[in-house]
Amino acid sequence: MSLEGFEVAVVGAGPAGSAAALTLAKEGVQVLLVERGTFPGAKNVFGGRIYSYPLKKLLGESWKEAPIERFVRKEGITFMTDDSAFSIEYESRDPEGSFTAKRAKFDKWLAEKAEKAGASLITESRVDDLIIDGNRVKGIVAGQDKIPTNAVIACDGATTGLARKAGLVGMLEPYQISMGTKDVIELPSEVIEDRLGLDSEQGAAHVFVGSCSGGLRGGGFLYTNKDSIALGMVVGGEDVSSKQTQASSFMDRLRKHPKIKRLIKGGKTVEYDAHMIPEAGPKMLTRPYTNGMIVAGDAAGHLLNNGYTFRGVDIAIQSGIAAAQTVLEARKRQDYSENTLRGFQTKLRADPALKDMYTFNHVPAYLRKSRLYSIYPELVCAAAEAIYRVDGTGKKKIFKELRTQAKGRISIFSLVRDMIGGARTF
Amino acid sequence: MSTEENVTLDKRLMLINFAKDPEPFIVVDTEKCNSCKTKPCLYICPAEVYTWQEKLNYNTEGCMETGACLIVCHKLGAAAITWKYPSGGKGVAFKSG
Repeated sequence: MSLEGFEVAVVGAGPAGSAAALTLAKEGVQVLLVERGTFPGAKNVFGGRIYSYPLKKLLGESWKEAPIERFVRKEGITFMTDDSAFSIEYESRDPEGSFTAKRAKFDKWLAEKAEKAGASLITESRVDDLIIDGNRVKGIVAGQDKIPTNAVIACDGATTGLARKAGLVGMLEPYQISMGTKDVIELPSEVIEDRLGLDSEQGAAHVFVGSCSGGLRGGGFLYTNKDSIALGMVVGGEDVSSKQTQASSFMDRLRKHPKIKRLIKGGKTVEYDAHMIPEAGPKMLTRPYTNGMIVAGDAAGHLLNNGYTFRGVDIAIQSGIAAAQTVLEARKRQDYSENTLRGFQTKLRADPALKDMYTFNHVPAYLRKSRLYSIYPELVCAAAEAIYRVDGTGKKKIFKELRTQAKGRISIFSLVRDMIGGARTF
Repeated sequence: MSTEENVTLDKRLMLINFAKDPEPFIVVDTEKCNSCKTKPCLYICPAEVYTWQEKLNYNTEGCMETGACLIVCHKLGAAAITWKYPSGGKGVAFKSG
């Protein structure tokens, strides 16, 4: 393939990159999509769920051809101590609002859609650098190849290599990242459905907070695939480092909990995955554009953990589409300078899905409160134990019992402050 | 159904495909590590690429390419790690992800 004559280079064929390439190719733009893995998705790891809405927007009815494992109908959260668990479960109304998937299949599929629309995909190609002329990005450098383009869309993931080269971000701080690890555990589909109380082909998503993270910022997650359970842990980068606990050890903590043990019993672990999660939000970069370049997806901090929903892929796709639309405007004006590309910022804030990132921009700071991972889950379980236990020693009314349990663990002042803070944050 | 035996990290890493990159993509100035008090790389890496036996040892063949070691090393440690992704087509490949 000749590497001349491309108008736009998109770096990274993850959800943001493929969505950007697809959007551009549809408008007849000569777009090169560069992926370092042997195929798109080979390097990509997530928890397990994709919200459907951006696919409908991107692909119309054909979004249903996506390699969907199960549509998620059950949402749950469990507060846990080593020997107890308090769970809440919700059966959602939206039958196709989100689904579980495997990135090795999903990302490959989405990149194929971009190719069908006319994008040129090259794999096994690492982009090492940008062509920079003065204060302007003029293309990419991949191995021996210098590829000049009018614009670059950097969707190179959480390590933000190209944004750093363009001077849009320094090194992230450890508290701005989390480490996610995951086991994929094979089980027959009927067993998964029985254990999680699901109808055939329905899926579940569940979050775990408390003893599984050993008091560190973080928690566990579970997603059901067709024939496997994706079970994982996410822990704060600063906490893992300073508490000197191996990131991989949290998987075992989670797996040893009696509730989890029952869910995965008899299963066969078939894969271990890991991924660094940027937690700083869109303010991670000083700005997600410069002359000749836009940054989208994880690389720009375009993802959202608001404490109860974890959104990477949907936001990445929306971010990629917005980046491509900005480049299309630049193409129309024949001006790829930041004067035009700053329109990306406006789009991020105006897009109804992407503006969620700004609505919840105080969440990361709130989620660094260590009480959320130790005292609160313990308190929830202790209160439940007190409420449900009948052992003949005499019962108190619920409110009185809650006060007894809270006493000595947390001051009323802290509790009220966290509640008010929480109400403002979430 | 029986419960799976203890799944160790070694067993986990055996489940993943790695294509060795002949070019070194992680280089550590291990002299610097000798005076590093925090040694955060030992803990953040999900594949335990970094181990300590009198000095820092590292084996990039199990690298899962998260990039977190670079951040903690430079922000909390001795700024000893130089890191880039493996060459195109090399390194880790996930079947599921």
